[in-house]
Amino acid sequence: MTSLAEHSPPRTDQASRVARRRLIGLFGNQQILLLLVLIAMIGFFTIRNPIFFSVDVFGNILLDWGPVVLIAVGETFVVVSGGIDLSVGANVGLSGVLAAFVMRDLTTAHHGQTLTLIVGTLIAIAAGTGIGLINAVLINYARIVPFIATLATLGAAGGMSIVLTGGAPIGGGPANAITLSVPKFGPFSWPGIAVVALVIVLGLFMHKARFGRYTFAIGSNTFAARGAGINVRRHITKVYALSGLLAGLAGMYLYLRLGSGAPTSGAGGELDAIAAVVIGGASLTGGVGRLSGTVLGALILTTVTSGLIIIGVAPNWKQVVVALLIATAVFVQGLRTSGRSTA
Amino acid sequence: MVHLRISGSPALRRGVVVLACTALGLSLAACSSTKSSTTAGAGGAGKSLTIAFVMGAEADPFFKAMKVGADAEAKAKGVNLIWQGDPSQYSPATQIPIVDQVMAQKPSGLVLIPTDPDALQPSVAKATALKIPVVNVDTHVTDLSNVLSFITGDNADGGAKAADAMAKAIGYASGQSYQVVVGLTSATATTNVARLEGFQSEIASKYPGIQIVDKAYSQSQAATANTNVSNWLTKYPKLNGIFAIDGTNATGAAAALQAKGLVGKVALIGYDAYPTNVDLMTKGVFTALIAQNPAAEAKLAIDDLVAKLTGASTAGIQPKVTIPNVVLNKDTSAADLKAYTYVS
Repeated sequence: MTSLAEHSPPRTDQASRVARRRLIGLFGNQQILLLLVLIAMIGFFTIRNPIFFSVDVFGNILLDWGPVVLIAVGETFVVVSGGIDLSVGANVGLSGVLAAFVMRDLTTAHHGQTLTLIVGTLIAIAAGTGIGLINAVLINYARIVPFIATLATLGAAGGMSIVLTGGAPIGGGPANAITLSVPKFGPFSWPGIAVVALVIVLGLFMHKARFGRYTFAIGSNTFAARGAGINVRRHITKVYALSGLLAGLAGMYLYLRLGSGAPTSGAGGELDAIAAVVIGGASLTGGVGRLSGTVLGALILTTVTSGLIIIGVAPNWKQVVVALLIATAVFVQGLRTSGRSTA
Repeated sequence: MVHLRISGSPALRRGVVVLACTALGLSLAACSSTKSSTTAGAGGAGKSLTIAFVMGAEADPFFKAMKVGADAEAKAKGVNLIWQGDPSQYSPATQIPIVDQVMAQKPSGLVLIPTDPDALQPSVAKATALKIPVVNVDTHVTDLSNVLSFITGDNADGGAKAADAMAKAIGYASGQSYQVVVGLTSATATTNVARLEGFQSEIASKYPGIQIVDKAYSQSQAATANTNVSNWLTKYPKLNGIFAIDGTNATGAAAALQAKGLVGKVALIGYDAYPTNVDLMTKGVFTALIAQNPAAEAKLAIDDLVAKLTGASTAGIQPKVTIPNVVLNKDTSAADLKAYTYVS
């Protein structure tokens, strides 16, 4: 589209060139574009089956969105820093399983439900962060590239959760776990509200605080960042630990949702996370990305899932729709950068 | 932050880290590896028999339960047991090398649970050439002419029993119409296909008022199964029942019913007696669970091979044995529940 315009005869005066740049600017704004896509999707699904436009369905969508957005936000920090974390999905499973074991034992020993859930959450956070730290050690000290390092932890964590559980989900925890994930305020459940609050805080962290500035600096140019006095190793360690921590929380979230910790929970979640990050406009080469884009990307992914079930289309179409979204997102990103360079 | 300080060149340092990780991994593996059950021969004539089991995914609770039955029978008959399978993948690509490796140990007999009917056919031919008798359990190879016996749970019968349990749970009366949904794992898994066919044909012949309004696939993810069922409960406000065709779907569907407060209002028939599911059934979340009997399948396989190898009467060996699935519900005795619950 742009290339056509560029090659058209030089009748373009100043005004129309400005207008064109504005148009590119508007459609290059990933967030606005994503919002339009989301609204169009909601419109489409609602026309096909009006029941889609209900608090109940939005509750289902947000229930799905929680764990996806948690790991996608962690992934955004990692991707912006120039890395990749493939272990998040397996991390979700292992953290959830470890928390499930502890909560089962506490419940058997007749401890209170609130205490049990708090301890379970702490275990999930500790397990998730631990896997993140192992990633950091492999990357910083064994000097394994992030793709391979986190591929190794993906396999190790995924295998461990199957070994520990023997393949079956671990239940027997607090009886009120599932009721906690029931929507209480419109489509929002308590864990859902916690996720929203956490994402807002992390958004400020990324775009308004030193932590985010360091992350962008390292992802744009590691040498320059080091030259500017940033302790790159320490910061990378924090970034992978954060990604692991959020995966641990996602594991706990799934536990609350299913009432048990399943070893296969979260398997393949890394692909959802990376899809949300890419749809959200982050660049896998690092240094570029916005958390709001990732949040919308995750919301679009989960809206497609529920929408296709509601309108009665085979859910396997989800993969096709997501593939189109990813391709479009990357195309728009290219458009934006070329728009900038011609400006 | 902890800084790992190892003096020496970067390459050496990296080597140390890698070595440390490998050592840690191996020692962990060693701690958890199951002792091979080498029960001494039942004394007397000649060397003791060795029977090898090669299954799909070792971690699957179904195979765990099968191992319990195999262990017990191997001990009773005084045979050595080799138990091998890929840790978690149900795939011929990983199973064929394992069969080769097991055959190199020269077992007296082989129990093969083929992950693919055609891909594992050459393995049976190889065993036959080595004069190792082969029994198929659960699934089978295409050409059964060299297979001593094929022992399986009847999944189509299980599906039909699920339909009967469903009709009972929703209080089926002719002339009325009912809506049910089916949660599956994949469109091609042979057990899924057989159960669904059994379910559908039983409904078509005995309960024409029941309509299967939707189907979806969980891809072995309880969370995906949960999403499917949650949305169905919104989409079909008058839904009467859910048939969750395997353990994963059962877990996801049970959570959705509990979260929506519809336990007891929507009937839930599950499959596979995972401990958590049996527990939920006693609490009324599942109306009924269909269970297989993998331990009985393993026992029969060992008995057949021992009869064949010791030259005892082989009259009792049948080319195909079908062990019916059982229905567990709240009337099932505690002893039966315990016997059918898959151990993990």
